[in-house]
Amino acid sequence: MVCLRKVAPHSAPRLSTLAFAFAFAFAFALLALPDIGRASTDWEASLDGRLVSSDANPSFMQGGLGTVRYGSDESGVQLGRARFALTQSLGEVWSAHLDASMFDDKDRSPVGLTEAYLLFRPYPRAGYRFRLKAGGFYPPISLENRASGWESPYTLSYSAIDSWLAVEVRTVGLEGTLDWLGTRSGHGFDVGVTGGVFGWNQGAGVVLTNNGFSLTDRQTPLFGRVGQLGDQPLGGAEPFLQFDHREGVYGGLEVRYLDRVVLRVLHYDNRANPQLDEVSDQNYSQHTSFNSAGVRIEADHGWTAIAQWLDGETTTAADDVPGGLSSWPFRAEYALLSKRFGRSTLSARYDRFVVDSIGADGYGAQSGHAWTAAYVFNVDAHWRFTLEWLQVVSSSFSREEFFGGPPLLTETQVQLAIRYALGSAIR
Amino acid sequence: MLLCAGQLAAAGAAVAATLVINARTTDGHALQGAVVTVRPLDGQVRHAAPLRGVVDQINRAFAPDLLIIPVGSTVEFPNSDFVSHQIYSFSPTKRFQLPLYRGKPYPPVHFDQPGVVTLGCNIHDDMLAYLVVTDAPWYGRTDSAGAWSTELPRGHYRVTLWHPRLRENDADLERELTVAESDRAELTLTLSKPLQPAPLTDRPHSWDY
Repeated sequence: MVCLRKVAPHSAPRLSTLAFAFAFAFAFALLALPDIGRASTDWEASLDGRLVSSDANPSFMQGGLGTVRYGSDESGVQLGRARFALTQSLGEVWSAHLDASMFDDKDRSPVGLTEAYLLFRPYPRAGYRFRLKAGGFYPPISLENRASGWESPYTLSYSAIDSWLAVEVRTVGLEGTLDWLGTRSGHGFDVGVTGGVFGWNQGAGVVLTNNGFSLTDRQTPLFGRVGQLGDQPLGGAEPFLQFDHREGVYGGLEVRYLDRVVLRVLHYDNRANPQLDEVSDQNYSQHTSFNSAGVRIEADHGWTAIAQWLDGETTTAADDVPGGLSSWPFRAEYALLSKRFGRSTLSARYDRFVVDSIGADGYGAQSGHAWTAAYVFNVDAHWRFTLEWLQVVSSSFSREEFFGGPPLLTETQVQLAIRYALGSAIR
Repeated sequence: MLLCAGQLAAAGAAVAATLVINARTTDGHALQGAVVTVRPLDGQVRHAAPLRGVVDQINRAFAPDLLIIPVGSTVEFPNSDFVSHQIYSFSPTKRFQLPLYRGKPYPPVHFDQPGVVTLGCNIHDDMLAYLVVTDAPWYGRTDSAGAWSTELPRGHYRVTLWHPRLRENDADLERELTVAESDRAELTLTLSKPLQPAPLTDRPHSWDY
């Protein structure tokens, strides 16, 4: 028996209450700003075009089970990303951040916000610093997505872990961080603790359950949709939902040694009620929790090494097993090595990932590994060229089940990206 | 931190003498950029004249990243970047903050207590600089050969060596010496622990997550 997931029928685009509240607060703050003379606006815009060659199956956005962003039928010229970001100071210690992007026209709206939040950043006192974020943003997990727009400066495609975060994990809520700034008081270390409380991520895990891991750089906009309506297995899944009135939480620790080493650990639990799947005829509810850890080491002569690890489980009610729950434990890890020389960066990454299937007759089981090699050439502050080769070898239960193909498949994608950026700080 | 080695060489006699300080790392290499201060211990009352210093912000970095100023000096913090900065210090020597700005909207900051002031930017965490506010009449930084020298009268002095990357920030290297019957005195100070690694300088500024 195959446990088919429900496919969310088309629903009218909903701009969330939170998005409205944020937009209102943003506009009001701009108008009411008492000290506009000293206020600061930083903006950035970029256009990233791709030349793609791929032999992969159609991706999750195309209704397929491909493990890379572009399937073979998308070889040729593609839009990588068009982006506009704005940071507006609101008085002395508040600021607003908006990051809008267009990746393609496959979502409910061609343009969406990948992040939108208010940041409260009081001055450090006595060696301690507190920060509060409110809105929609990434939890502090990735160590490779450190460039603006949550992009990786090392590769085009993110690791399996960080691709998953890009596709269906976002904090829509509050995050507080308390840092002890040892490096500002004669020590070699900084230590920070982070706690978050969030909603609207009740669907986190729906893509893992149905498609497994992939390596992509498409970031689902806040309240966006994943997959195509009516296309199995994913349908038009919505990771950013809230209908069980249960908030999710996470807590993490970050230790930094000078500006050379960053160590992060985090426990995440969206605390969703998986049984609500049974009472809603439209949407998924996935109880997803995981632990993550990572380390980034930077050394002299442009060397960087990054390793991340992720281990968790997502649970939901099976459609055809009334009252029953199915679980998909998942695990992924990667190691990346990068060398910067002048305006060039050469990087290599190895990914490994697995999704097990419990109580669903094998549905959604997947395992695989991937190699990524990328060369980035920053011509100047505006122009950047990237050449990336990515190969994923994966075995997927659903590949045979839905498309009749062999479970094991090797997919290769080569991309040449040309990006032009401009903005208030890009000179 | 302990003083590991020091040597005093004297020859000849003069009213004014030359004091040469050599700073060495644990493995004997020249220590460049170390801060040297020399204070009289025999009743001489001398103060260096206050000055007007400037610490600019260029390419998301302080320039210079270390400035020595006499007590009573003022420092301007212009921002020459296209992005805004928000400068702060929570060092006990001088606590201050300059709200988000570009250009040069604020008057100079007055530093009236001796000590080290660590500067940071509340927007860009990797920006780091130091002000050494000193009450010593003679001060300076060692050159690429690890040397610094000054002219001073005969007398009894305390020589202090400090570097922002010392393993223990508050543990200065100190040594007392007498300059007498000499027109040239030389002292070598050697660290007992290796310095912390230098900040990475070639990282693109857009990497800030």
